Amino acid sequence: MPVVDPAFWSNLQRQTLECYDEPLLRQVAARLVKPRNQWPVEDLIERGVAITDNPVVIDRRLQELTPAARQVLALIGHSRQPCWNLGNLVEMTIALGQSDGLLPVLALLEAGLLYPRLECGLPTPRADSPRGASTKIKSFEQWMAVPGPLGLLVFTPPQIAVRAIGEDFGLPDLSESERTAGVSGLVQAPTSPLTPAVRPASIREADGLEWLLRLAVLWQQVADAALRRTQQGGFFKRDFERLQQDALLNAPPADHLTDVPDMAFLIIVLAELEGMVEEVEGELRSGSLPSSWEKNVAAALESLWVDLPRLSQWNPLDGWRGGETPAGNPFPSAYLLAFLLLARLPEDAWVRPDAVQTWIFEQHPYWTSESLRPSRQRPWMETFLLGMAYQLRLVQAMRDEDSVWRVRLSPTGRWLLGLGETPNLETVHTQTLLVQPNLQILAYRQGLTSSLIARLTQFAAWENLGAACTLQLQPETVYRALEAGQSFDSIRLTLEQHGTRSMPPAVLDSLRTWSNKRDRITVYPSATLLEFGSAEDLNEALARGLPAVRLSDRLAVVASEETIEFRHFRLAGTRDYALPPEKCVSVEADGVTLSVDLARSDLMLETEVPRFAELIGGSPANGRRQYRLTPESLSAGRSVGMTLTALETWFLQRAGQSLPPAARLLMTAGQGEAPQLRRHLVLHVTDEELADGLMQWPQTRELIAERLGPTALAVAEENAEMLRERLREAGITLVGDPE
Amino acid sequence: MLNDPVRPAAGARIPVKLHRRVCLVQTEDAVLAEELMARKKLAQDIVGRLTDRVLLVRPGRVESVVQELQKMGHTPQVRSQ
Repeated sequence: MPVVDPAFWSNLQRQTLECYDEPLLRQVAARLVKPRNQWPVEDLIERGVAITDNPVVIDRRLQELTPAARQVLALIGHSRQPCWNLGNLVEMTIALGQSDGLLPVLALLEAGLLYPRLECGLPTPRADSPRGASTKIKSFEQWMAVPGPLGLLVFTPPQIAVRAIGEDFGLPDLSESERTAGVSGLVQAPTSPLTPAVRPASIREADGLEWLLRLAVLWQQVADAALRRTQQGGFFKRDFERLQQDALLNAPPADHLTDVPDMAFLIIVLAELEGMVEEVEGELRSGSLPSSWEKNVAAALESLWVDLPRLSQWNPLDGWRGGETPAGNPFPSAYLLAFLLLARLPEDAWVRPDAVQTWIFEQHPYWTSESLRPSRQRPWMETFLLGMAYQLRLVQAMRDEDSVWRVRLSPTGRWLLGLGETPNLETVHTQTLLVQPNLQILAYRQGLTSSLIARLTQFAAWENLGAACTLQLQPETVYRALEAGQSFDSIRLTLEQHGTRSMPPAVLDSLRTWSNKRDRITVYPSATLLEFGSAEDLNEALARGLPAVRLSDRLAVVASEETIEFRHFRLAGTRDYALPPEKCVSVEADGVTLSVDLARSDLMLETEVPRFAELIGGSPANGRRQYRLTPESLSAGRSVGMTLTALETWFLQRAGQSLPPAARLLMTAGQGEAPQLRRHLVLHVTDEELADGLMQWPQTRELIAERLGPTALAVAEENAEMLRERLREAGITLVGDPE
Repeated sequence: MLNDPVRPAAGARIPVKLHRRVCLVQTEDAVLAEELMARKKLAQDIVGRLTDRVLLVRPGRVESVVQELQKMGHTPQVRSQ
């Protein structure tokens, strides 16, 4: 979901308005657009979308809202995530003191400042359905009654939400609360001063790279072997154990304050949200590295921050949810409230995570009641703030005089909440890599950037994460980087630009060897082949700028058809090899002579047939070329992998008939039981009924080898006399002497 | 095969037959192509030889061909764009 692209949300806003029934659309437009007369529906939609980009009108509309409704938009604005679960918004509104949390949300929907995400609610109307069809939303209550598989989601274009930032939430200053009232419940009141004299050296702030590094490790692991998912969304036992026991993903961070449960699974969830892994046919496979990493660490952290409200499969209380879809997930709303509480602290004030948690437990509707068993009122805020948020560089931490951790928002956290300037997170150390002759790279963390992590991840395998990380250059990883668009020169440049010493010659040699090896074989998975009438035509086409690779004197290949300028060419024919093969072969009466119609044949056929049939004659006659199946040609076909099944399929596809018996004979000759040449006598009887009788009567049946025809029976020579006797007993005299 | 006896005049359109969505493997030399053809698993997926260095792959089998090439220790360059 492109959260930072306003055009995406404007487009979504337009599509959503098109799904409103006309009375509802006019009702919303009356608040948003304020038309002076009866405008057409199309105009109302366009004006509604256009207003989103008009900050003056948006500010005016915001002033017409109740403070509670403005708070909802402000919450969305602070989160930078335009799409929220409706339940989470209601929870936050209640936590902020509203008795009816749904009311402000409904008011925003009716004012056209908040919209339902319809992929998860009502079915999207067909393009050809008339306006006003039954699939359209008639009222927001109707939409709420039919939640989609992901629940009820709402969105507001970021241009609207950002204008609401600054709205007062009436949140308490927790450092003040701690001082005056202490902390109730699970948390002990602090005895130390609440704004302790802090020595700058004791303030800890992470470098923000921990999750990026772990995501990089996971991406590499998934690229090496996909993770198989169960239907419930969990993982198969082998992959589950692989993740659970992974030393690199589960190792405590170098700057470790507290443990994070099921760390590897948290990374998986984040990787999915970042698009680094994608589910394809029940498997998680590696996608592309996030484009935000190429910008800077701040952009990468912003992307992860935006993911927080969408984090549903993991939470700091339960850890990994095992792929189950939670019925309710109150954590996203609690995370945002926690950060807003920290934002409320005066400058230089610190607060214990417990104090934040207590406020959440007392105000958040999910935690205020103790009706659930096992109790949900178990501490988790410290895990979230010191474990997850700290590594995201959202908070700073310090120990107070009681050696208890206290936190406050970092400059990055303030910026992400929309309350401060963009911090400069760029490193000044560019020479941070030490490439060793054994192909190991030592990466000193203080010089790492998100873009360097991305490039290293493509061409070297992460082996250790710490203050100094280690990576290993391997043929497979270099190959992966080359496939992703890097080159020998770009890899060399990265290592040289960021290296503390010159690159060892052995490493350069290995990189060059691996790169050159890749040039030995080129695979075109879906190329366009151009077949010219003569070598001169091909030369002429290349001279006119055809960006093709010559394969032979008349054949050239382009990786993508889009690069061909068709104005230079006259199409003499086209074949699409993704379509079923065309029937262009006829089989002569002898069953072994194949006649190919050249006008309908293709390259596939012309390269396939010579593998199991011999060409008859030189040049084709009457637009047909003839081949013949011979024992030698079929034997050659068998030696290169041609099977009877493949040949049968080929005849069905190309000739539209089953394999002729003669061809089958040549193909299977010598594979079955050897035929026997035996001497038999043939007993000819006068009529069919007599033959039936002889076949049925036990006395004669055992002496007859087989029935050759209606009135002809085969008899073994040694049984001839016995048969004569038996027939005599039956009153039949056998005429004729085999001798 | 395309047979057009009429030669295009200068600037005229050149007659061409298009073969779309073809799966090909091009090798550095003919010996390498022979080596690939001799591999039983690859031979099943290779329809035949277009030239001494170009092999035609059965439609839909390109992934398994790439996997098999990698198993053989090759690092094929996959040109999808």
